[in-house]
Amino acid sequence: MSSSAQFEIPENQNPADAISSVKFAPHSNKLLVASWDKHVYLYEITSGIGTLINKFEHRAPVLDVCFGKDDDEAFSCGLDWDVRRIDLTTGAQNVLSTHSAPANRLVYSNTLSLLISASWDSTLHFHSLSGDQIPASLALPSKAFSLSLTPTKLVVAMASRALHIYELSNLHLLISESSATDSAINTIEAEPWQRRESSLKYMTRAVACMPNDAGYASSSIEGRVAVEWFDPSNDSQARKYAFKCHRQTVDGVDVVYPVNALAFHPVHGTFASGGGDGIVAIWDAVAKRRIRQYHKFPASVAALDFSTDGKFLAVACSPGFEDGKEDLGEGSVSVVIRELGEVEAKGKAAK
Amino acid sequence: MVKKKRNHPDLQDKLDRPWCYYCERDFDDLKILISHQKAKHFKCERCGRRLNTAGGLAVHLNQVHKETLTSVENALPTRQGLEVEIFGMEGIPEEVVNAHQLTVQQQHYADIQNRAVATGNPPGGGGVQSNGSAPKKPKIEAAADLKKRLAEFKARKAALEARGGTSSGDVTPMDAGQGTQSPAVGHSPAGFPPAGSPPYGAPPQHFSGPPGAQASPQPAYSPPFSQHQFSQPPLQHGFPPQPHYAPQVSFPPQPGYAPSPVQHFGGNPYGPPGPQSFPPSGPPSGPYQQQYQGGPPRQFGAASPMTDFNGGPPRYASPTNGMSHQRQGSLPAPPGLPQKPVSNVPHVNSYQLQQMHQGQAPPGAPGQQELKGLPSSAFDESVDELISAAARNAEESSKTTSLNTEKKAKKDKEKNIKLIYNDETVSPEEKMAALPRYAFVPDHKEVIMQDALEGALTGTVGA
Repeated sequence: MSSSAQFEIPENQNPADAISSVKFAPHSNKLLVASWDKHVYLYEITSGIGTLINKFEHRAPVLDVCFGKDDDEAFSCGLDWDVRRIDLTTGAQNVLSTHSAPANRLVYSNTLSLLISASWDSTLHFHSLSGDQIPASLALPSKAFSLSLTPTKLVVAMASRALHIYELSNLHLLISESSATDSAINTIEAEPWQRRESSLKYMTRAVACMPNDAGYASSSIEGRVAVEWFDPSNDSQARKYAFKCHRQTVDGVDVVYPVNALAFHPVHGTFASGGGDGIVAIWDAVAKRRIRQYHKFPASVAALDFSTDGKFLAVACSPGFEDGKEDLGEGSVSVVIRELGEVEAKGKAAK
Repeated sequence: MVKKKRNHPDLQDKLDRPWCYYCERDFDDLKILISHQKAKHFKCERCGRRLNTAGGLAVHLNQVHKETLTSVENALPTRQGLEVEIFGMEGIPEEVVNAHQLTVQQQHYADIQNRAVATGNPPGGGGVQSNGSAPKKPKIEAAADLKKRLAEFKARKAALEARGGTSSGDVTPMDAGQGTQSPAVGHSPAGFPPAGSPPYGAPPQHFSGPPGAQASPQPAYSPPFSQHQFSQPPLQHGFPPQPHYAPQVSFPPQPGYAPSPVQHFGGNPYGPPGPQSFPPSGPPSGPYQQQYQGGPPRQFGAASPMTDFNGGPPRYASPTNGMSHQRQGSLPAPPGLPQKPVSNVPHVNSYQLQQMHQGQAPPGAPGQQELKGLPSSAFDESVDELISAAARNAEESSKTTSLNTEKKAKKDKEKNIKLIYNDETVSPEEKMAALPRYAFVPDHKEVIMQDALEGALTGTVGA
């Protein structure tokens, strides 16, 4: 491996505590990093260098962050239950809604100007940012653990291995029609387009949709990734599969790590998985092949994201929470940016 | 043959397989290894060109992409270095080769052992003895033993019920052994003492070997002997069942046994006459004893007394080993005992019981004592029950053990997996959030948009 293909954010610019999320900007190579140290960090990534532009303090650990309509707007959520909007140029923050438990996941749909937040209070909040609308709340059967969007669908992975797929257009309609009450939040009821049970036997850790809107990948705490398709026809459903990964055999014992992060490459349609073992692997979901696997990172991989142009892969390394430990495991916090070669994340001949 | 070999290659085959220095993977042949190395370890990430060696890749990166190679991709952590120039199997440092061969060997033996355990077969030729199968065998035998014993007992019980009084069961075995035995018996005076000397060994010999041979070494036992004879009449009932014995006898330990019944029944006149004469305990016993006693003086004659007794064929069956002795003695005895209210009988009983017990249970002195105190009348039933129960237990236990082992195997499989994080409902983040240092204190920091925040807060909480 050539060392120049990969670099770290300088140590003095790193978050001081575990990282919860990394997100690239839609139109540039700006990178947002949310951390348990109660800050959101904004970096500018160029070839070989990552520079800290700004950091935004929160009153509680931040669990997720995402960009909004442009590269100057961001949203965050965290342990203080709030969903906030951050103006990245001025640093101004305002609270959009508040869950009744820590809010852990955010996604933003640019086409609908809709921000969706998920929480351990088993609700989703929808914030329509085009108008002056009151946020809407949708009850879920279980705690939400992961969210992912395609241009048309929203996938929510929850506790108890539940998984709902919503059609964004339906949701949007419901939300726009629901703005009648005066309370701080509207409650809507929406039937998911599909209810599924995870094809993995253990708790779902992450879910990520294919950029071509055909399906999604989900991962569990038990070193496994499943790939499924939206199309409910039997043919498509028969194509779904799952595979083991992020495991190590130590003294004859198979040590199985959680697969914490999944991210699809926006151009090639392959996806990366990051595990508690500190390994990132890139997979071709169609050819069912592993394309490559990177060297072990210094700590558990907490989050991953590809830049919009697919040239960079951001890997957030931070100590992971392990069974039987009171505190976080060992490992240093770092953000590693991998500069991908032309074909580095490209699938085999299939494409 | 070829296929078999492929399934379980021998050690040399394994050692001969080419393997990759960087990842310790082994391959069917050198060509595949080389293409593996080119694809996995010596491939340029930038342009996908496959070089032949790490050095070649370094030069390529340097010249074409102006980059430096620091480590070999996809290599084990300790093998990432560029110092060693590897091509196929060339260039691997000797100590690494040795270490590899050692692990291959260990793996090989471990495989053999696992296979032996899994299949229950003895390890294939050349392999290390597997410990797994060894304990298994004795267990099986024990179960079989128990069943046999159960059958014997049932037979005896049946005999009891049918009690017509006929030839002695005891005799049969003796007869059988005789032909072969006689030479051995000849030694017996000399040979026995050692055998008899251990308290246990001696008794069995007595029973099975009424012949004088025994008496001479151990006169002390003679009383038991006579008792034995007494008991014999009942034993004769045992005859009908004896056919049962024969199959049972097919034990490995008692090769001599099987033939005996046959001879007995068929050619041997003893059977019918014996019984008749015996029931009247007095007369038969007398002669017998006499002969018997006479035995010692006769010096050996084990054969001869028997001949007398049987009226022909010697019946000193005394199989070569103690086991068979016990069996023969023990089997016939119990049925007879209860019926004969001879004072001595109880004594014999307990003894025989012990023997039975001994035979049935894994030989252990303490176990044998258990039954001593039982009233003779209760014997049949109680012993029968006991044994059948034991047999059942044994069956069950063997079943459960097999089940257990299955389960264990499964469990082991599962146990071999260690989940770093395993919780069905609480995500790692939630657990982290519960850590004291992340505890959220609302007043900790005021946020810029305080008003909006408060409004939202109260709103939701209220709702």
